[in-house]
Amino acid sequence: MPRFNALGFGFLAPALIVVALFFLAPVILTVFFAFTNMSTSTGITGGDYLLSQSDLRGVKASGVSDETYDALENAGYLVDDAGLARLAEARDQATADELAALHSGAKFDARRDMERALKDLRDNRIRSTRDRKALAELFKTSVMDERFGSEAAFRTALDGVGIPQADQDILVKEAYTGWVWTTENMKLLFSLDSSYRYAMNTVIYVTLTLGFNVGFGLFLAISTFYLSPGMAATFRTIWFLPRILPPVLYVLMWKWFTWDTGFLATITGYLGIAPRNWMLDTATNAWVVVILINGFVGASLGMILFSSAIKAIPSSMLYASEVDGANRWQQVRYIILPQLRWPILFTTSYQTLSLLTSFEYILLSTDGGPGRATEVWALAAYHTALNNYGGNLQYGFGAAYALILVIIGIAASLLYLRFFNFKELVTKPRIEG
Amino acid sequence: MNANFKSWPVIAILSLVSLPLLIMFVFQIVDTFTNPYPGSIWPQMFTIEHWRFLWEEPATGRSSIWAVTWNTFVFASTTAVAVTSISLTAAYALSRLNFPARRFFLAGLIVLHAFPTITLIIAIFLILQFLGLYNSLMGVILVKAALELPFGIWIMKGFYDTVPWEIEMAGVQDGASRFTVWWKLVLPQVQPGLAALLIFSFLSGWSEFVLPLVLAPGNDAQVLSTYLSALILDDAKPDFNLFKSVGLFYAIPVIVIYLVFQKKLMNIYGGGSKG
Amino acid sequence: MQLRLENFTKKFDNLTVIDQLNLTVESGEMMALLGPSGCGKSTTLFTICGIHRMNGGTLHFGDRDVSNLPSQQRNVGVVFQNYALYPHMNIRDNIAFPLRVQKLDNATIAKKVAEIAELVHIPELLDRKPAQLSGGQQQRVALARALVRKPDVLLLDEPLANLDAKLRLEMRSEIRRIQLETGITAILVTHDQVEAMSMCDRIALMKGGKIVQLSEPDQMYNDPVDTFVAGFLGNPPISFLDAQVNADVFQVGPSQITIADSLRAKVNGAVKLGIRPEYFGPQFGTGITGKISFVETQGREDLYNVTLPDGSVLRSIQAAGPRLKLGDSVNWGISHDHALAFTPDGARI
Repeated sequence: MPRFNALGFGFLAPALIVVALFFLAPVILTVFFAFTNMSTSTGITGGDYLLSQSDLRGVKASGVSDETYDALENAGYLVDDAGLARLAEARDQATADELAALHSGAKFDARRDMERALKDLRDNRIRSTRDRKALAELFKTSVMDERFGSEAAFRTALDGVGIPQADQDILVKEAYTGWVWTTENMKLLFSLDSSYRYAMNTVIYVTLTLGFNVGFGLFLAISTFYLSPGMAATFRTIWFLPRILPPVLYVLMWKWFTWDTGFLATITGYLGIAPRNWMLDTATNAWVVVILINGFVGASLGMILFSSAIKAIPSSMLYASEVDGANRWQQVRYIILPQLRWPILFTTSYQTLSLLTSFEYILLSTDGGPGRATEVWALAAYHTALNNYGGNLQYGFGAAYALILVIIGIAASLLYLRFFNFKELVTKPRIEG
Repeated sequence: MNANFKSWPVIAILSLVSLPLLIMFVFQIVDTFTNPYPGSIWPQMFTIEHWRFLWEEPATGRSSIWAVTWNTFVFASTTAVAVTSISLTAAYALSRLNFPARRFFLAGLIVLHAFPTITLIIAIFLILQFLGLYNSLMGVILVKAALELPFGIWIMKGFYDTVPWEIEMAGVQDGASRFTVWWKLVLPQVQPGLAALLIFSFLSGWSEFVLPLVLAPGNDAQVLSTYLSALILDDAKPDFNLFKSVGLFYAIPVIVIYLVFQKKLMNIYGGGSKG
Repeated sequence: MQLRLENFTKKFDNLTVIDQLNLTVESGEMMALLGPSGCGKSTTLFTICGIHRMNGGTLHFGDRDVSNLPSQQRNVGVVFQNYALYPHMNIRDNIAFPLRVQKLDNATIAKKVAEIAELVHIPELLDRKPAQLSGGQQQRVALARALVRKPDVLLLDEPLANLDAKLRLEMRSEIRRIQLETGITAILVTHDQVEAMSMCDRIALMKGGKIVQLSEPDQMYNDPVDTFVAGFLGNPPISFLDAQVNADVFQVGPSQITIADSLRAKVNGAVKLGIRPEYFGPQFGTGITGKISFVETQGREDLYNVTLPDGSVLRSIQAAGPRLKLGDSVNWGISHDHALAFTPDGARI
């Protein structure tokens, strides 16, 4: 019966592709990434096998045999038959024989010593330092500090230095430089004090900003409602600007207003207060500024929604209340506010979610400072994964932060679905053919 | 609104709370072509030196403002066109066409519309790396358009829903295919919505900051928002007059477009926009 | 062209709205689908034009089976209740649209549009936009657009509902004139019995997804199959009295009404009597006593409600005359030949 399948799907297809690529895939990948140790140093594709000195500590703790550990730690350069054979191949048999005569069975800890041994050759002198360096490597017995492209190559090398199969597995794991699956991120997330601090910050930020948004938005909507149209338009424009101005510019104005060379510092300077950065000098100040910056933007959205809701109230109802003797406050309290219940609920629920996850204005203003005083959860995710001072971007750990928000986001969005009058939304198309 | 109440107390309170914003706005404009006495903030002398970034050679390692502006324009207009055109078809399908699993797609739209997309930025960052689109304008455009899409579809669906069914029924009766009905009869009815969405997405793209910052931090793909923020971060001693001039230059199109299309946009800003 | 709907069934989700409906409209006939809202008349119309699909049954235009054809291929002209003119096109383009989508050449289109505009009397409006037209003019444009490609069937969905009373009268005769001039088979969907009776050759009265009675207007008025039909037609409406058959008379409380000869053999026991207002009044003698409980003057005519001693009410319509007042006692008669008898559950006897 549905004859327009093709057209419907055709019309929907571009959107579906985009949604799959940039919504579905990221959601799934956020889950994946949260369970990896991906970072700048592991890269995001595969990795190599490299055992460094710092890895050795881990190796010891992971319980390899002492022999293996010794073989790794004390390995150096050994003039043995295998090495001599390699030398004979690289150079000639005579050189190999001479070295065998001089140093057979000798063991050197450092390459410098091995090179010196090669220098001892008289008959088959190796003149170039570079050659000696290269030839010294032929006698190397260690796999330390050497990069192997594949697991097989690494295992071959381990065999070469005589490390038993049982220990090789541990070493392969330790030496891998790429990312691996791990639940460490989640454990870390729930064990770090800072996580709780960021969560607290987020709660403070969302509650206070939301309170300001709704309260001040209501105030703006109701107060401008009582003004002459020209006056109302002026104030509404002033308060609408924060919303349409690009965030970077809007925050710039706040910086000018609050920084130590800016407006507030100058004004307070006249009162004899030493200039200071009002945005960043204390945590309290930072919070006030962050909430005002976000609040002004949020309040203007509230103002628009509430204003149009107030306009929808029949004016006869307002006249009636005045005739009945209501003063302005009573009119607001008993006539206007009750009619704004739904817009208020809508704004509150919508902004809760968006404040919970947005960090743009905080990033631009305090960047979480001073210290980590205004670092909220979403900003922590950003800092961990995409921009930290250490330089090693921890994608996996950042994704773990983000995962929490994604889960909250999905849960809340599904909740909205219940609030919406979904039945009305899906009324069937009236052309059936 | 009427004579039963005095309005001056309201005006007084409103003016007082609006004062900080007003001060910011006024100085934002005045400071771009004046200089204060040293150590003061009060404007004294007229100058155009703060606008020199428009014609001077950029400092080494910085892009020219015009290249950045061009990037911003390309970014904003391409995303706007992409969002609008994809929304136009998808919203029509969701609003008017019969197809299996329509309920599912509609529910998906609501969920996507409410879902805070910014939480996906880390995964998107890595996806762009995999795709090799990291650090390119193309990549940010794709992402911005995608993230803006649920909102666009939502808005367009709202506009389609108001077109009378009878118009479409009449078109079908007159022998036109569903595609022709959409193209010739329905699209003209939603033109105001189309224009509003186009303008809105353009402004949104023009103002976008986090996406270019994260996904295309290189100089080649720099847009005005990241240019300005880099400028502010770089300077050891902030030159607010310069910042404000760049900022004003950046915001002029926004303000002009807003003033011209105020009425059209009000609908959208009010209609389910995210706080 | 004859239209034949056979065993037509329509479901919305799992709710059967129309079950096994049969309807034949003869070529050149104008048929009214009349009924209260929710009776399925609009569903039937939307199914005939293909906007709704059938869940069972067949639809033929002449010999052509169109049951499974999409709207675009059915060749049906429809006039919608709100006219559904395309607001962004001028009148000429509106009327030309059905021809445009057939990709006819411009000269042919221009000629056909001019002809049809002539027929519906709007040649001077062709360059205007729909918003600049009055309701009646929009109605004519909608007709023109529906007719321009010479459809097999013309469907009219409550075409007069959006017009004021005076225009409605004018358009009633206009639509009928155009239908007769073009000789097209037409179906008019309406809930207004006056429209149905005045415009159509036959009326199909629907209730609950079924056709209750299908006949010519005067026959339906004078010879209804049940109390529903009797009550639906006529304004002011028919009144019903509970009566007992008592030898040669209907006993209504203390009053008696003679049983017409044609009925005498068929009735006994309890019956429902239907009395139309024009058959109750002083001109029919006496015998029914009661009190005036409602008076309405309509200029040329007066309308009275008379409450009988047992509480039932009879309506009477009379030429304007000496005004009776509320509470006056009257003793009027009934034209017993015109009393309609029904069984207690509503079927006509």
